[in-house]
Amino acid sequence: MEFINVFIKTAFIENLVLSYFLGMCSYLAVSKSVKTAFGLGMAVIFVLGITMPINWLINEYLLSEKGLFGIDLTFLRFILFIATIAAMVQLVEMVVEKFSPALYAALGIFLPLITVNCAILGGSLFMISRELSLSNSVAFGLGGGFGWFLAIIAIAAIREKIRYSNVPPALRGLGMAFILTGLMGIAFMSLMGIDPAAFASK
Amino acid sequence: MDRNSSTYILGFVFILTASVAVALTGLREVTNEKAIQNEDIFNKRAILSALEGELPDGKTVDQLSDADVAAVFAAMEQPVIDMQGNVVEGEKAENIDLAQERKKPEADRHLPVYIYENGGEKFYILSVRGKGLWDEIWGTVVLKSDLNTISGVAFDHKGETPGLGAEIKDNPAFRGQFKGKQIYENGNYVSIKVRKGGAQNEQHEVDAISGSTVTSDGVTEMLYRGIKYYEPYLKNLQ
Amino acid sequence: MAETAVKEKEPLIGFGKTERRLLTDPLNDNNPITVQVLGICSALAVTSLVYPAVVMAIAVTLVTAFSNLFTSMLRQYIPKSVRMIVQLVIIATLVTIVELILKYFNYPIYKQLSVYIGLIITNCIVMGRLEAFAMANKPWRSFLDGIGNGLGYGAILIIVAIIREIFGKGSLFAGSPIELKIIGPTADYLINTTQSALFGWYTNNNLMVLPAAAMFIIGILIWIQRSYNSKLVDVS
Repeated sequence: MEFINVFIKTAFIENLVLSYFLGMCSYLAVSKSVKTAFGLGMAVIFVLGITMPINWLINEYLLSEKGLFGIDLTFLRFILFIATIAAMVQLVEMVVEKFSPALYAALGIFLPLITVNCAILGGSLFMISRELSLSNSVAFGLGGGFGWFLAIIAIAAIREKIRYSNVPPALRGLGMAFILTGLMGIAFMSLMGIDPAAFASK
Repeated sequence: MDRNSSTYILGFVFILTASVAVALTGLREVTNEKAIQNEDIFNKRAILSALEGELPDGKTVDQLSDADVAAVFAAMEQPVIDMQGNVVEGEKAENIDLAQERKKPEADRHLPVYIYENGGEKFYILSVRGKGLWDEIWGTVVLKSDLNTISGVAFDHKGETPGLGAEIKDNPAFRGQFKGKQIYENGNYVSIKVRKGGAQNEQHEVDAISGSTVTSDGVTEMLYRGIKYYEPYLKNLQ
Repeated sequence: MAETAVKEKEPLIGFGKTERRLLTDPLNDNNPITVQVLGICSALAVTSLVYPAVVMAIAVTLVTAFSNLFTSMLRQYIPKSVRMIVQLVIIATLVTIVELILKYFNYPIYKQLSVYIGLIITNCIVMGRLEAFAMANKPWRSFLDGIGNGLGYGAILIIVAIIREIFGKGSLFAGSPIELKIIGPTADYLINTTQSALFGWYTNNNLMVLPAAAMFIIGILIWIQRSYNSKLVDVS
């Protein structure tokens, strides 16, 4: 059950935001209310879960030496990955708009933001540097997205509450958000005690 | 011309990607050879860092030039051994990728050995590989000519936590502890243990890094199993 | 503000008051990290040591400047509907060039930065400046705007890295030819904690090595900056 293992690891222990700073821009910009944070979080899970296996296939069958062209094209990786991500985001946007207007109303405005969310490209690049298999890359995508979702929901909820607290004026807003993220990062470190292998063996 | 027509868009995108691809392929062709060479020297330096203190002219690895590193490797005897400890003919240690070997069944693996000479003394450089908390860890163990005492070690990792597990590589004090430890006790193989809470046995244990139990256990396991693979070969030498 | 298109007649290459503001504004009043909240993503993970942070700052500055320049040159020809993909291709190409060059000249630092070089592509500063400035301004000013924002970003990166490296590792510029060992338990450090009566209690602060430290430091930097520059205070 390596799938569960990778999922738990990326969602809780190696959280994309809290330990790798991925997707910080939208994380800080869209975390003023829980409702919008929820929408963006869902969109990230969705897009990460789709783009990682696609990029895996591109890397394996187009770019690597074993691939279609038989030569090492990995130096074109950045361009192809980001183009795939941009194209997928646009595709998802069109499909969602056509088939589920309600979901589109909730997710729509966030989708363009996601192309430049570092967590998406970061996921694909980590997948390559860690030499994940196809199924593990799906687990990494879903787990990473879920971890990101958790982090943004948590910070949004805290930021909603902290508005009523007496924070020094200069620290209000952004400054406090950074410090909170740091504290959350330390809190998440306590999850390092989880042994993912224990889940896998059950 | 209509900038929103599909022809224009397709044409624009095509010209852009074509010129980009040509430019990048050209740059890559020019830089590739040197990049591969750089990678080679980088990996060799990692191995040599376990020889700290025994390198030519008493230099550190960082003080050696790229040419020096290549020269040290050219001068070394580089046998490749199989799991029975026999030397495999026609293979060279620097062409063995332990990461690939680990994917094979245990009995079919080949192991690299580097034999380094400094001031008449021989040093045997062994490579080990195992699992840390997140991902693979690997290392180099240098044995003195008695094939028992450790002269130095170096570790590296793919993704251990900075400040905790990653200290096996970053903290010279951790690596330094291994110097002078012994892998045999009265002829029995015991390897080196990384003990949480402080070493208790002067010859076979070192202090763990606090907060990195899994990585420390990984190092212990990697050393025990990794050096054991070399045991038949070491027996043959004695 | 730098965001609005400059209306006055601008020379092809000139260096007047507007140009100077393009370079200096991002250092304080319009800092990409502490004010615009852009580009925090990819780069904070490289701030535990100063040397990689400096290399990262240079790389980001080059990518921002040149992608601004090229986008501005092409701005009248880029079709609206594929604008984003075209911009991304330009950025990704520049980042690939940076990667190839690093591999060629400095392999160890390439290894150390690993995936974070690729993540310059999604560094929101680059994309943000293309949208906010380069699509509406002429090449030379766009280029300067790119350099200014890259430097403003690099400044924060290096400040954070200096604090983290001194307190976390007791050194400065570790890994580079000008490595300085400041405080530590062996004789090659400037202050040897095993010998010094004054600093015998000192050990490196492990918190500084953890990712969370970068968050705290930036939070505090924002606090300090806004205390001095009251027009930046968040009213909400």
